[in-house]
Amino acid sequence: MKRIVETSTAVPLVSMSLVFRSGSALDPPGKEGLARVTGRMLRRGGAGKTAQQIEEAIDTLGGEFSSEVNFGWTAVGASVLSRNAEAMAELIGALVAEPSFDEIELGKLQREIEAELIESRDSDSVLASRALRREVFGSHRYGRRVSGYIPTLRALTPEDVRQYHRNVFCKKNAFLVFSGDLSDRRARHLAELLTLRLPEGAGIPDPVGEPEVRPGRHLVLVDKPERTQTQMYLGTLGSHPRDDDLIPLQVATSVLGGTFNARMMQEVRVQRGWSYGAYARLGLDRHRELFSMWAAPAAGDAPGCLALLLSLLVRWHQDGVEAKELSFTKNYLRRSYVFDLDTAQKRAQQRISAEVYDLPKGYHETYTDHIKAVTRKQVNQAIQGRINPNNLVIAVVGSHKELGAALEQAIPDLSSSKVVPYDLE
Amino acid sequence: MGAEALERLNRGKAPGAQVQWVETLTWSKEHKVERYRLGNGLTLLLLVDHGAPVFSYQTWFSVGSRHERPGKTGLAHLFEHLMFNESKHLPKGEFDRKLEECGAESNAATWVDWTYYHENVPSDRLKLVVDLEAERMAHLVLREPQVTSEKEVVSNERRQRVEDDVDGSVAELLYKTAFQRHGYGWPTIGWMEDIQNFSTKDCEDFYRTYYAPNNATIVVVGDVDREELLSRVQRRYGAMEAAEIPVEDVRPEPPQTEERVVEVEKPTEVEKIAVGYRGPALGDADHVPLSVLNEILFGGRASRVHRAMVQEAEAAVDCRGWVSTFRDPGLYDITATARPGIRAEALLAILDRELGKVVEAPVDRTELERAKARMELSALHGMESCDGRAEQIGFYEVVTGDPVGALARLTPLRRVTVTDLLRVARRYLVKEARSVILVRAALARREAPLEGSVEDVTGERQISL
Repeated sequence: MKRIVETSTAVPLVSMSLVFRSGSALDPPGKEGLARVTGRMLRRGGAGKTAQQIEEAIDTLGGEFSSEVNFGWTAVGASVLSRNAEAMAELIGALVAEPSFDEIELGKLQREIEAELIESRDSDSVLASRALRREVFGSHRYGRRVSGYIPTLRALTPEDVRQYHRNVFCKKNAFLVFSGDLSDRRARHLAELLTLRLPEGAGIPDPVGEPEVRPGRHLVLVDKPERTQTQMYLGTLGSHPRDDDLIPLQVATSVLGGTFNARMMQEVRVQRGWSYGAYARLGLDRHRELFSMWAAPAAGDAPGCLALLLSLLVRWHQDGVEAKELSFTKNYLRRSYVFDLDTAQKRAQQRISAEVYDLPKGYHETYTDHIKAVTRKQVNQAIQGRINPNNLVIAVVGSHKELGAALEQAIPDLSSSKVVPYDLE
Repeated sequence: MGAEALERLNRGKAPGAQVQWVETLTWSKEHKVERYRLGNGLTLLLLVDHGAPVFSYQTWFSVGSRHERPGKTGLAHLFEHLMFNESKHLPKGEFDRKLEECGAESNAATWVDWTYYHENVPSDRLKLVVDLEAERMAHLVLREPQVTSEKEVVSNERRQRVEDDVDGSVAELLYKTAFQRHGYGWPTIGWMEDIQNFSTKDCEDFYRTYYAPNNATIVVVGDVDREELLSRVQRRYGAMEAAEIPVEDVRPEPPQTEERVVEVEKPTEVEKIAVGYRGPALGDADHVPLSVLNEILFGGRASRVHRAMVQEAEAAVDCRGWVSTFRDPGLYDITATARPGIRAEALLAILDRELGKVVEAPVDRTELERAKARMELSALHGMESCDGRAEQIGFYEVVTGDPVGALARLTPLRRVTVTDLLRVARRYLVKEARSVILVRAALARREAPLEGSVEDVTGERQISL
């Protein structure tokens, strides 16, 4: 099994992860949330221990257990005091291989997640980003919520969880990542402890197809009362990790909204004081992910801010980037890259991303060289080829009564407008 | 640093620029924290680590929201924003442009006791960061329209963090209720009315009063050359004059003798509680044992309150406890969020029951040992990076005067006994001296259907255009 090791003796801590190359994209329709529930069930009974005994064992070792589920991968692991790393590896190895998936504990977890989903409605930025993803991806698997929905969570059975576990948690579908206070030899020993009881199993084909761009401009207003401020996202499909113009589009996105000196921050915050922050982002996953812009203006400034963001996007698309700002952004991206490598954990994270997103060989190792080589022509072609401002979802959280009409008027050539309640999910 | 090197650095320098070694403290087996002071009172704390070609450069000022006065709240925080604007030798925008162009990350933060500015910088840009930070400490230009624009940005920050954030607004109310005299009672971001009323003169007065070398500590951690750093700091900061820092009009909070309960309605579907018991200052000997007790009560899924409230009663989504890390006595700050349909009083009853147990009887020794292991882990987290260490060094220096306090706390932590926990439980978990916020849910919750996909529960309204 592949093993990644990044060593640092700066602090006496060890991090370890068993990474499985499957995640919530495997959730069957109507069973959304299954992958995440399975990951969270691992600490709720197994290897002859009750949930409480497991928690006490983790704490006694000075450890923090984690299970992280994404669309295409799942990482189960811990950060632990170095002196207890072997004991922790043994514990995790046993929990991953022999979970009990107790029905009572599953019921408790389902109710716990349901309550968390309801509480998450308090976060306007979560509501807005979910609305964006839902509307951009539609029925594609990347449009679904990793944590599931209340009806689909309620539908999960112990057999669903066992079945998912049997399929996914096996050696053929996994690799190992270690970072911190350990040598390669010690990592090898920890790897044995982690995988001793893990079945061989079989690799799982990626179930995700490529998403398609949604044509037209679409407004979705998440209606929530008593808002003094809006959370606002604009988005469409962005990059695929295998795109030839991946790095040029990353540079272009950074010119638009990747630094304090970028166009969005200067126009929205510095010139007008309309939002505390204003950023553009290009997501990265195994398949084509989101390109998005974000700001959070006061409710009264929302129509003006939306019109401004649209005009910035159109200008970026029509005129491309200027030589001066391109040079500035390339310098920033190249020179700041050192902060992606300055700790063992960050280096390990990079190597995980290369594996799970199936990045081109040497992507990280040659990243700064590629940035240096990017030309203005490549950047502007990438914008033209990948982003179309006429195919755009605009997701806003605010009061519909107060803002609905003004937002619709701020969007030229609007194809559709939709109002959804804040408690949609 | 040897006496010879210091002598070389000081040769021909003005008194304000003379650098003096003060002490060297142990950080870890490999690393030390060195303290230097310039003649004008500027403190420099240095931890050299050549592990990666980067360093963190932080400037901590001993001024926070506690130094403000009613009607002028939020000034320290607004000022933090203004520090990124124009200065005598740098037009507006140049500060950020120069840093970003060389790949540096920069930001700032303000809290009750302090304000700090930080840069993470590739190691070949030492000169740039020293020049930039010295420039804005001595030559900031404050004028319109930047002040008005920044007030608008801060108003939006307040909307995001407080007005439209249930937890943010409840925390603000808890501290306002608990502190009726001390400056910890008003929010660091300031009241909205105060933010909108600041004048350029308010900002100028604040700058002249608090932004002086003798009110600042520079913390540098990472891949730097000691002698080059000291020399550059001498050159750029040495000519600054020390200021007369006003004696703080400190208003100790009088003893609280009656429980204060406030009920408030918020746009949320679930009820919440926020509870503040009186807590010790960070430098108080009780701070470590009370933090250990907090770990036993709220640290992780095996902790007592989490188990009782979230797992057994299934009454809460989450519950947290935190012993405030302030220079003066603060709060033992507890929050919990109810599950749908559960009243805030039910959470409070469970909390009272669990806190009553630790006041009544000693905790198990195994619980104590688990809490210690968890706290050792959390003390080490974030300490690998230069900025993580610089932040801990700066924070402990300005709040307690001990720059290695973050790791030094591990020694008293190891000595904490079950008796210590009983003592702090009985000293601090006093109902008569607590403040309680009961949060009512103003939004009615719709019941999701038991079957079907998400599309069935949308209630969407489609408009054709």
